[in-house]
Amino acid sequence: MKRASELRLYCPAQPRYVAPIRHALAAFLEALQFDRRLRDDVTTAAGEALANVVEHAYARTSEKEARDLQLLARHERGRLCVDVSDRGSFIRRRPAPGRGFGLRIIRAIARQINIDTSQGTCVSMTFKAPALRGKR
Amino acid sequence: MNAGNSIRTIRLGGELEISRKNELRGVLSRSKTDRAVLLDLSEVTYADSVALTELLRFCIDAQRATVPVALIIRTPQFARIVQYAGLDSAFKTFNDPDAALGYLAEQVAP
Repeated sequence: MKRASELRLYCPAQPRYVAPIRHALAAFLEALQFDRRLRDDVTTAAGEALANVVEHAYARTSEKEARDLQLLARHERGRLCVDVSDRGSFIRRRPAPGRGFGLRIIRAIARQINIDTSQGTCVSMTFKAPALRGKR
Repeated sequence: MNAGNSIRTIRLGGELEISRKNELRGVLSRSKTDRAVLLDLSEVTYADSVALTELLRFCIDAQRATVPVALIIRTPQFARIVQYAGLDSAFKTFNDPDAALGYLAEQVAP
């Protein structure tokens, strides 16, 4: 039975941490030998979810409370799942011109997206990821 | 600035993403003397929706002032995120600088 590959990262929900997390995800995907386009698309979608956390998740919480985010990427049986979660509050906004591109981009890339707002917010994205080459 | 036809060039490179939001907002500001603007983004290696929003704000502002704007985009990730965001028709994009300059020169021609 093939084992799953997993990447789990935590960091403060601040703009300067988004790029390093995205780069770590890209390195994880490269190590799994996914092609460049898939790597770019997955990191683009994850980058949008991360930016949403940084921009919106903690807008209603006090500065004394922890403001962090987590990224969990997991590859198993031809599926790649990336969860981006926080402990803030989900803000449902009305659609407006020039806004809301992040979720639109994620929906265009991911095969499936689920947003769980029961405890903070967890955006779960699933991507079709073909079988790995080589020994895996 | 191209003195012959007053086309101003703004060059940006690297990763255009959330940590550079304030920088982008500052750089992407229109001058009253602009007749046309070339946004040379050929050295951009990554762009996110925060960058797209700033680019869109700049282009809408320029459009209201009837100042044509052309974008040079060469990175596949950048080109795709524009499509994913549904902004294909919002930007006049080129992957060739000469074609972009030719378009702008036509637009500002008397």
